[in-house]
Amino acid sequence: MKKQAFETKSITESIVAFSQFARSHGLNVGIQETQDALQSVSGALLTNAALFKNALKTIFCASPEDRRLFDRLFVLFWETNPTDLVVRKNKTTVQGAVEKKANPSIVMLGRGKTDEDAEAGKNVSGANETERLKTTDFSKIGEIDADPLETIARKLFKEMAVRLRRRRKETRRNGPINLRRTIRRSLSYGGEPIDLFRKAHRPKKQRLIVLLDVSGSMDKYSFYLLRFVCALREHFRQLEAFVFSTSLIRISKLLQPNRLELVLTTISRQADNWSGGTKIGACLETFAEQYGKQTLNGSPIVLILSDGLDTGDPNLVGEALFKIQKRAKKVIWLNPLKGMKGYEPLAGGMQAALPWIDVFQSAHNLESLLELENILSDA
Amino acid sequence: MQAFEHPDVIIQALAERNYVADEELATALFLLLKLQKPLLLEGPPGVGKTETALVLSELLDTELIRLQCYEGLDVNAAVYEWNYQKQLLSIKLQEGSDRSIQEKEKHIFNHDYLLKRPLLQSITAETKSPVLLIDELDRSDEEFEAYLLELLSAFQVSIPEMGTLKATHKPYVVLTSNRTRELSDALKRRCLYHWIDYPDLAKEMAIVKKRLPDIEPQLLEQVVAFVQKFRLLKLSKMPGVSETIDWAESLMALGYREVNDRAFEQTLGSILKSAEDIRQVRSEGIGAFS
Repeated sequence: MKKQAFETKSITESIVAFSQFARSHGLNVGIQETQDALQSVSGALLTNAALFKNALKTIFCASPEDRRLFDRLFVLFWETNPTDLVVRKNKTTVQGAVEKKANPSIVMLGRGKTDEDAEAGKNVSGANETERLKTTDFSKIGEIDADPLETIARKLFKEMAVRLRRRRKETRRNGPINLRRTIRRSLSYGGEPIDLFRKAHRPKKQRLIVLLDVSGSMDKYSFYLLRFVCALREHFRQLEAFVFSTSLIRISKLLQPNRLELVLTTISRQADNWSGGTKIGACLETFAEQYGKQTLNGSPIVLILSDGLDTGDPNLVGEALFKIQKRAKKVIWLNPLKGMKGYEPLAGGMQAALPWIDVFQSAHNLESLLELENILSDA
Repeated sequence: MQAFEHPDVIIQALAERNYVADEELATALFLLLKLQKPLLLEGPPGVGKTETALVLSELLDTELIRLQCYEGLDVNAAVYEWNYQKQLLSIKLQEGSDRSIQEKEKHIFNHDYLLKRPLLQSITAETKSPVLLIDELDRSDEEFEAYLLELLSAFQVSIPEMGTLKATHKPYVVLTSNRTRELSDALKRRCLYHWIDYPDLAKEMAIVKKRLPDIEPQLLEQVVAFVQKFRLLKLSKMPGVSETIDWAESLMALGYREVNDRAFEQTLGSILKSAEDIRQVRSEGIGAFS
């Protein structure tokens, strides 16, 4: 428990304590910020409470969310009386931290193993075995195959990410002339630009937005799809990822290969995401409205991974997707069900979405996911 | 330069220059001057972020150097570029001279051949600190943002051919962003931060009044009240304060002393900038004068 204002003896000590307090509650306050705060609060800023608060706010915050949090913390720290202490003690818990002990049993396929375990498991799988697993539907994978499949998946996804990157590098031949280097070299030829240097084409950073359905019906697929999204991130550094079922959660920042387990636990803690129906329309709508301005610019590619089984109003799916499609370069919908023989996109939501989709593909096994590489590489 | 000992002094001084600032913004500016740290202003379009930098330069009676960001903005356009034509000529002129190549090279990569772009300009100011406005930073690429880090923390620019140029007078830096993408934490950490939101009714009226001193009180009140109402709707393009001023100005130009049906119809285009928004406002029945 960090100190509160009333426990400190001097203003300097209070400010340092407040910095620590703010840091422990999720504000990104470092030594530099503390220093700035100490340096700036003198004279007028010390005698006026509102000014004092504003000054600290300007220094400590970095986003509107931070500012809201700051307002709460400020009151908590500076205006708490010793007498409130007993009640308050239990209320302040550290925000945003994820407890490890959260039950991972609802995590897809119950696969709560660490990476080492999987690696140490089965590295050996013959060519035939690999081929078989590549075409096996994720939903039909038994416990025995799960480990080798994951190993293969990780390897293949990694290769894909590397290929996507390399493809960019090789097309660096015919850029505009690099005057700076050319002139520098021409010095030795008395000013004749004999060796021409060219500027490399700046690889165009295509932005990718992924919306992953994690509802009950997608359960068997989501784990692999999430891993796939992680692999894509290797290439698309500006990747934004969201998961949705009945509500939408942004997971872009959580998405790191070695933290997959954490993502899964975090998501699964929001229990309603795993049971209950899917509200694709409402979630897409939320996405367009809340994150649209921030993420749908510079015409990104939007990748939706969902089975299209919707319990909400199907018209809403169409409307929302229309809005998204207008601002995206391409909308790609990957549907695991499409891999089934005789599947027709008849489900209400899927039906309504079709007019606004540029690419409609299956995503039921590794092979189908790897096909996406071709679609993305010429994007 | 006048010393600003208190944020209130800044509010006062800004008001004299037709800019209405609240206490929070004034404090942010106060700290910008005092700590000499860059200030990052975020907020929806049209709430006066850019204007803040303009008025700050007036206030300090110093030069404003502006860099408008866009996708693909690179070092050549933002920091410096070599004057290639001049370099070529110089090489030609030196043909036959007995200077060594190293000497020639040193000669053509010196200050005389350097074209200064805004960022370099801002740190080479000769007499006093200028105000550097880096506008709509969210539009630039991440690479450029990373490049800015050196400038914003150390106020210096590295040029491979010449070495590092340090600022003679640290510029006052104001960065603005519309939040179309999240800026990096590294950048944010080097800046003070302030969020400018849409003003409330009283403040907006004060702003419009400052800009258009001749406006009829009734017109002023009506216009601002309408705009405030528009902002409660889910419009695709929210009207900013600058649009409010435009609207009021159009109404005045057309000779209206109050908003009525006809005036509303005629001028709606200067406040709402999309067909859907206009349709929505009509269907909500705002602006029906009966």
